Amino acid sequence: MTGRIRNPWVVVAAYNEAPVVGSVVSGIRRAGYAVVVVDDGSGDRTGDVASLAGAVVVRHPINLGQGAALQTGIDYALEQRADALVTFDADGQHSPAAIPALLAAIEQPGIDFALGSRFLTGATANLPMSRRLLLSAALWFTRANTGLPVTDTHNGLRAMTARGARAISLRQNRMAHASEILHQIAQSRLRFVEVPVNIEYSAYSLGKGQRITDALTILIDLFARRLYR
Amino acid sequence: MIAQLLLTALLTFVLVYAWSAHRTVPIIGLLASGAALAGLYFVWVQEHATALAALVGIGRGSDLIVYIWVVISLLIMLNLHLKLRLQLDMITRLARAVAIDRAKESQREAVPRRKRRPVVLGRKAEAPPIDSQAKK
Repeated sequence: MTGRIRNPWVVVAAYNEAPVVGSVVSGIRRAGYAVVVVDDGSGDRTGDVASLAGAVVVRHPINLGQGAALQTGIDYALEQRADALVTFDADGQHSPAAIPALLAAIEQPGIDFALGSRFLTGATANLPMSRRLLLSAALWFTRANTGLPVTDTHNGLRAMTARGARAISLRQNRMAHASEILHQIAQSRLRFVEVPVNIEYSAYSLGKGQRITDALTILIDLFARRLYR
Repeated sequence: MIAQLLLTALLTFVLVYAWSAHRTVPIIGLLASGAALAGLYFVWVQEHATALAALVGIGRGSDLIVYIWVVISLLIMLNLHLKLRLQLDMITRLARAVAIDRAKESQREAVPRRKRRPVVLGRKAEAPPIDSQAKK
């Protein structure tokens, strides 16, 4: 936490993550960051476990989706006068060790977003071929749709300045929010950089992750969103 | 003549619906207006409906009007679907406001609790100030 960032917050969206969210929050807290966990209407003890591990817990009364939970966490962190925000997955596939590099990237003048990329280092572990193909298709679609020369999409590890966070307003409640963020970054004309990050896929995180059929839902969500105000 | 009047009434209703939908879902408003106006035209100028039907390979002009009605129904279904999404947007904003308010409330409640925590061992805890008791 050097330089101009004084009050960074880590935003974790969690739904039924009680088995892992405690260790995720503990890791972030040990690294010295404030954490807000948005419990997205979980049926298990996700919120309680996160709270015991040291997070501020914001509980959705009903399950709304990861995009909605992230926006709630962003709104809460901004109300706490966060000057930088990091979005972080609750399933344990992200490492708190990546946070300083992301924050350092947005400390550069004129940079408002640091997007984690799994494919800049090639060090991401245990990424199955089906997931790699799905991400390649998503990447092609995102590049065509937003014009942003990104190397990774649907990576939940990213950092943004408070100005960047105020420039985005997620209305995609579910998984399409990852494409929506990139679309809004492109529209805001704020600058971004990509930062290499390692993602450690485990059986647990792969079980919770997106499937090929989810890609169709994402496309429908993105198309439908363009039809109304 | 009765069928013409009935269809005219229904298509006029669709026009009003399209006008109201235009504010929230412009594309639906535009398409439904176009379909309803085309329907009204063909209901009253049937020879043109028959000519167009023959041109595009539909048997009769009346079939064309039925097809237009099907298209309008599909557009209305799409509009309902989009309205459900708008409702979900509003529910999301409401749930978010409730969630953040509750979190801030529990944070506020946690602060006085932390302040009361230091108690010297072996000594009876002092009663909290009257004003904080009153709040409870």
